Amino acid sequence: MTPIDWHHRLCRVNRGVGLTCGVVLLLACAVILVEIVTRRIAFGILGGTDELSGYVMAAVASWSAGFALIERAHIRIDLVHRRLPALARAGLDLLALAALLTVSIVILVYGGRVLGKSISAGSTANTPLETPLWIPQTIWLAGWVWFALASLALLVLAAWAMARGEWADAAEIAGPEGDDIPEAAEAAGIRG
Amino acid sequence: MILRLTIALLMLLVVSAPVGLALFLLAFGVDAFFSPFPLIRGLGQILWSSSDSSLLIAIPFFVLLGEILVRSGVAERTYRALDAWLSWLPGGLIHANIATATFFSATSGSSVATAATVATVASPQAHRLGYDPRLFAGAIAAGGTLGIMIPPSINLIVYGFLTQTSIPQLFLAGLIPGILLALLFMVLTGVLCALRPGLGGPSRSADWRTRVRGLADLVPIFILFGVIIGSIYQGWATPTEAAAVGVAIAMLIAASVRGLTIPTLAAALLGTVKVTGMIAFIIIAASYLNYALGAAGLGRDLTALLDSLALGPLETMLVIVALYIVLGFFIETLSLMVATIPIVAPIVVQLGYDPVWFGVMLILLVEMALITPPVGLNLFVVQGARRAVGAPGGLGQVMIGAAPYAGVMLAMAGLLLAFPGLALWLPSLG
Repeated sequence: MTPIDWHHRLCRVNRGVGLTCGVVLLLACAVILVEIVTRRIAFGILGGTDELSGYVMAAVASWSAGFALIERAHIRIDLVHRRLPALARAGLDLLALAALLTVSIVILVYGGRVLGKSISAGSTANTPLETPLWIPQTIWLAGWVWFALASLALLVLAAWAMARGEWADAAEIAGPEGDDIPEAAEAAGIRG
Repeated sequence: MILRLTIALLMLLVVSAPVGLALFLLAFGVDAFFSPFPLIRGLGQILWSSSDSSLLIAIPFFVLLGEILVRSGVAERTYRALDAWLSWLPGGLIHANIATATFFSATSGSSVATAATVATVASPQAHRLGYDPRLFAGAIAAGGTLGIMIPPSINLIVYGFLTQTSIPQLFLAGLIPGILLALLFMVLTGVLCALRPGLGGPSRSADWRTRVRGLADLVPIFILFGVIIGSIYQGWATPTEAAAVGVAIAMLIAASVRGLTIPTLAAALLGTVKVTGMIAFIIIAASYLNYALGAAGLGRDLTALLDSLALGPLETMLVIVALYIVLGFFIETLSLMVATIPIVAPIVVQLGYDPVWFGVMLILLVEMALITPPVGLNLFVVQGARRAVGAPGGLGQVMIGAAPYAGVMLAMAGLLLAFPGLALWLPSLG
């Protein structure tokens, strides 16, 4: 299998991650609606929706950051980038991924301490639900693990593709998305 | 510190580091060089508390709402209905371009999706009916920018989150300037086309039966807008709750035109998660940078800087406005906002400006960044959609066409400076 084949596999798994995040968001939406309706009928049947939607956001934020990384959706200013020769572009792409990997490891270390403290102190949220904080924090930190794995995988695959001289593939794995044009137009063009 | 940080940030952006990454690296730099004690111990807690937020979740909801409306074809139906109502004006269809963009900015926060949709539906007609391709395309690009001014606006939520300003107040403040801007766009179009009839296409008027039938497509959008803004304004719902209700209504509207299928919904969800990931990473990084700058004593540095400049509030504000216009040529909307808010917002507040007012001013300035070359996302999007439908003409046409509208935005910035009440009157009623 070539690097780009592995990349396609990675993208398929990533789509699963994205869809899961999307469905969780829809569920959160539904819970909020139920809360609004029940608030009218009987005060506070559910309660705690605010707290729960905070946890959902934390989880979706970290997991979707990894999803967006593989989808190349993180904004990069490519004003200079796109005027450079292929080799320099590839070098910048690798550098960006290596830096992302480093930052994500730092995040894992310090995020891990937050989780560790919640577990050892048995912290619970300061709310009526008294949620044990390790539960939402574990899901949240797992999202950052996915982010770190994604940066590592993209870094290895892009470097491998470059070593084989497959520059176009390397750009598809690690390059900036350009300006989103084809996709935005395509999204609208489905009906157009 | 301020100068060195600004240079470091620009360098990181020039080598095309992802914006969130650049902000993290900058914060680590502040920690290493400017802070008397290690800030990184706070990293984990800041990361957790900035993302554990029931306010921020309004962002994916509003994105999803817009994705559903666009992908289910509701946006296109709105365009046709507005065409029937507005095409008799000098400038014809161009008014429908602007009005559609206004309607969609009133229900979702996405400029890009709006611009792409209108461009795709409208571009073939521009050619066939003999419109000036420059003005036609420029109006779509400019109209699309309204998405971040007229509430609900994702960018206003981001601003409110980072500066701890009330989101409902910001939403109310954006309403009048947003609508006024849309009207000014239409006036400009009308005047240009009345002076030079060659710019606009043939004046067409639809019969009343078409118009009334079109209302069936417009009324749901009005209801959607009314429910979202009304419930926030009346204090019945938080922005997050209003967004959740909005998603439900958008799904009902999409289902009523048989546009809500499983593949459509899956595509909308994936699109939403993608945008959310992009925004969340930047916001989390900006929160950490905010914290690092605060802890390293940015406030003192700023006071010293302001004293050394010895400018009055108005002069300083003009410098800030000029700075945003220049940066806006090169940097994208959201990046521009989050990278500058931690530094600029404290200055502005210290000068005695209302943070709600400045939120609206900032949005106006970054709107301009969307359509000023060489980097203006909406210009690229409109051009991309034109190419996709096989319309002739290059990116240069869109840039030229958008220029008069950028001029209107500049005039609007002047109006906001002269009459702060444009933004502050509605929030003061609440």
